[in-house]
Order: sequence, then structure tokens, then C-alpha cells
Amino acid sequence: MGGHDFDRKAGNQALCDKIVELSEESQPRICLLPTASGDPHEQIGRFRRAFGERGCDPSEIALFRLGAEPIELRAHLLAQDVIYVSGGSLVNLLAIWRAHGIDRILREAWEAGILIAGQSAGAMCWFEAGITKSSGLPAVANGMRLLAGSASVHYHSEPERRVVYLDAVAAGTAPAGFGLDDQAGLLFEGETLAAGYSAREGAGVWRVFAEDGEAEEEPIETEEIRDREAPIGEIPAEIIELRRTLEARAAQRRGGRLGSGPGRT
Amino acid sequence: MESGNPLLDEFALSLTGSDEPRVCFMPTASGDADHYIVRFYNAFRECSKPSHISLFRRERGVDDIREHLLSQDLIYVGGGSVISLIGTWRAHGIDEILREAWQKGIVLCGLSAGSLCWFAEALTGFHGEPERVEGLGLLPFSNTVHYDAESARRSAFRRALLEGMCSGYAAEDGAALHFCGTELAQVVASRPNARAYRLSAADGRVIETRLATRYLDCDSTPLPLPGSISGDAESSTTGVVTAA
Repeated sequence: MGGHDFDRKAGNQALCDKIVELSEESQPRICLLPTASGDPHEQIGRFRRAFGERGCDPSEIALFRLGAEPIELRAHLLAQDVIYVSGGSLVNLLAIWRAHGIDRILREAWEAGILIAGQSAGAMCWFEAGITKSSGLPAVANGMRLLAGSASVHYHSEPERRVVYLDAVAAGTAPAGFGLDDQAGLLFEGETLAAGYSAREGAGVWRVFAEDGEAEEEPIETEEIRDREAPIGEIPAEIIELRRTLEARAAQRRGGRLGSGPGRT
Repeated sequence: MESGNPLLDEFALSLTGSDEPRVCFMPTASGDADHYIVRFYNAFRECSKPSHISLFRRERGVDDIREHLLSQDLIYVGGGSVISLIGTWRAHGIDEILREAWQKGIVLCGLSAGSLCWFAEALTGFHGEPERVEGLGLLPFSNTVHYDAESARRSAFRRALLEGMCSGYAAEDGAALHFCGTELAQVVASRPNARAYRLSAADGRVIETRLATRYLDCDSTPLPLPGSISGDAESSTTGVVTAA
């Protein structure tokens, strides 16, 4: 997924539902790996609530707090139906996984048929390469190479990443791959692209490849999936318009009485 | 950053020899935990320019990490997972920069994982069963911390020595090992009874020596330190160990 969170922002609930559906279990065991963002408590809380509400058995592996929460890494991960990797620093994610041997366990989990989901850094890490801001400015970084090609996330919400990605693909410093918007995702079965999903209006996925030294983008057909409940966290267009009208009127009134400069609109 | 006890922090600051020391906190081993960063700024608010480096949110931090670290008087490394710490540092080239900082004479200090990391080898108990890990190797010894609190670590450290781990130092909570270059200069403590030990193995036996320790509350003026970091090429590392 090019961007996802465990809240009720448009499209995020639909993606949570899709993950549960793809597990093909009624009460899937789902484990969060929040390594890329340093295991923040509040993210773990939101994850547990979102998937707990959906009848799942949620857990997490916080590598930064293993002392207080000891867990048998391999046994726990291989006992899951779904492993969810959240976003953050791609460089840190892979370095820390390698230091703990998690990269090998995840390959094993993937080969065992466990559904692996991820967003942002947690989506790019499975490919040969991704575009990360782990060092500040967007740059190409290597992934785990379970999947061929490259990926770049937050495709239109962080345009500076897309520019670097297109240049890298054109120059051949990153292999051809996929650009993923927030609330859009791709499903691979083994190494084969099986489906694309768009959970929000305007959220898309593109195939990105080089042709005659230029980067080309070709939209991938996606299935539209939608939230079951009205999203929260975004202000509907009509409310924004109403607020603007009220503000403009208030400004006019102020202007009339006080004779001040132009009001805000 | 011992709760309610600034003695070790003050000691580390005194080693800089600066009236307005620049102190940079590296919370990497905790995953850059917000509450830990806040604790640092509270503990070091008297310093002229406290700062921190977040390796998980680099797009919002200092532009040039090397330049920033090399301009400090004291680099303070927080506790947490030493395995994650070393892995992350290597990925960002921080290990090389810290070696450079050390050679330049910048005081390096840290607690728990922030102590283990400077040594060639360390025994961490963070991930459940105590295990041996490779550190940055600035100090050619082994190290373990929280030596009093957890007896599993005591026996594991002894076992590791018998299995060929290089000889080294163990510190109890509240005790700090102060090295000048690679020489142990002194042991200081923020608690009257905290101690540190030198351990080595010979002929299938472990020799443990309890080291003379100076309790920091006895005198407010720091003693002159043998071969301390008075300019030149002398470098210094403080393995500060506290009960988080």
C-alpha cells in the first residue's frame, strides 16, 4: 500500500477490511511490525483497535522493547495468518531486521504462505529498491528482493519522491516498478501481480518503466473498494464551501462597519 | 539521566572542560522514543545548546549529521536495544562518525546499551536470554551493565569469558567507567554502594576484581583526572550505567 493508517480517514477502513478478507480466516492472527517508526505505542494502540474490532487476534513485535515484552520471534511470526509492516525509515527497518535476523524469518513466512501486508516503507521493503526519505531527501534504497522491480509510495501526496523515482527509473539506477498512491495497493501471489486496489477516489497505482531513456507511467487497473462506514478526519467539500461563504460574509460585514482592508475569503 | 540524581550527568559534563558544553543526545537504541528525548532536554536544559539526532525522522532533523556530531563537546547515547542501535548506526555510517569524534577528543558517554556499544564485545540481557553482541570496538574489552540487578547476567558474563570472550568490565547500576583513550582512568558512582568490576578468565577460572570507586557526592569539585581530555589527541569515553 502506498499509504495507509489504522484510522477512519477515507479508504483506510476499506483496506483493513481487505486485509482481513485476503487472510481467508474468520479470526486471523495478525502481527504488526512497527520497526520502521521505532515501535511507537500510539500506533500499536490504533492497530490493535482497528483489527481487534474486525474480529482478529492482533499482536505486535516491538524490537525496541523486547526486554520488557520478551517474545520468541520466529515462532511468533510463523504462527501468524497476516504480518503487517508499517511505515517509517526504510533504511532503519532493513538494518534492524538484519541485526535481529527478522529478514530471514519473513522470507520463511512468505514462503509458508503467510499474507504479508505493508504500507510506505513496509511496502517498499519487499522489492529490489524503493525511494526513501530515510536520509532526509528522497533517494533510492535497496529492499529485501522478495519481489522483482522497485516501488515508490505516497505517489502524489509527496511529489518530490515521484520526481526522484522517475529520474532513477529513467537513468536505470532503479529497476522498473510501481508508483503507489496513499490508500491504493497491489496484491502479489508469489512473485506475480494478481490485483490492484483503490480505496479512495483518485487513488491509483502506476507501472513505471524506462523507454528510450525516459520514464513512462502507465495506470494499472484497480478494483474499487470502499469504506463501510463514513470516513472521519476529512472535511466534506460542502462544509468547506459553507465555511468559506460564512467567512466571506463576516468579512464583508466587518469591512462595512470598520472600513478596514479586504477581508479574508 | 538517572531519575532525581544528576551526579553522573554532571560528571560527564565536567569532563568536557567547557563552561557551555554542547551536548547531543542519540536516542537510537530506544527507537527515538519521544518521552526519552523529552527527559534528555529536561536533564540537560542548563547546557548551552542541547540537541538530539533522530535517525527515524531524518527529514526533520539536522542536515549534516557528521558536521553536527563533530561540533559537540559531549555525545550522550541513550539505552535500549544494543542490537538495533548498532544495526541502525552502521546503516547510517554513524559508527564511523563516532570513531572520528572519539579520536577528536569529544567525550562520548552513555548508559546501558549506550555503554555496551563502545566495547569490542558486550553481553546484553535486553532480549531475554543474555547474549553476546559485537560493539563498535573503540574499547578493546568486553562490557556488561545492570550487573547487580540481574543475576542471570552475572553468570552469563562469566560463562562468556570462559568461552573466550575478551576480558572486560561489568558495572552495577549507578556506577560509571571512565576511560581516557583505551585506559580506564577511574570508576565513579552516583550511589554510595554502586561498584564496577574487572573480569578476566585464566586456566578455566574467572577472576573478578572489585574496582575502587569514587562516590560523586563527596566533593562538589571534580578531582583532576589522570590524562584527561585536556585538548590534544586524548580521547575519552564514559560508560555510564544507571537504572534507567
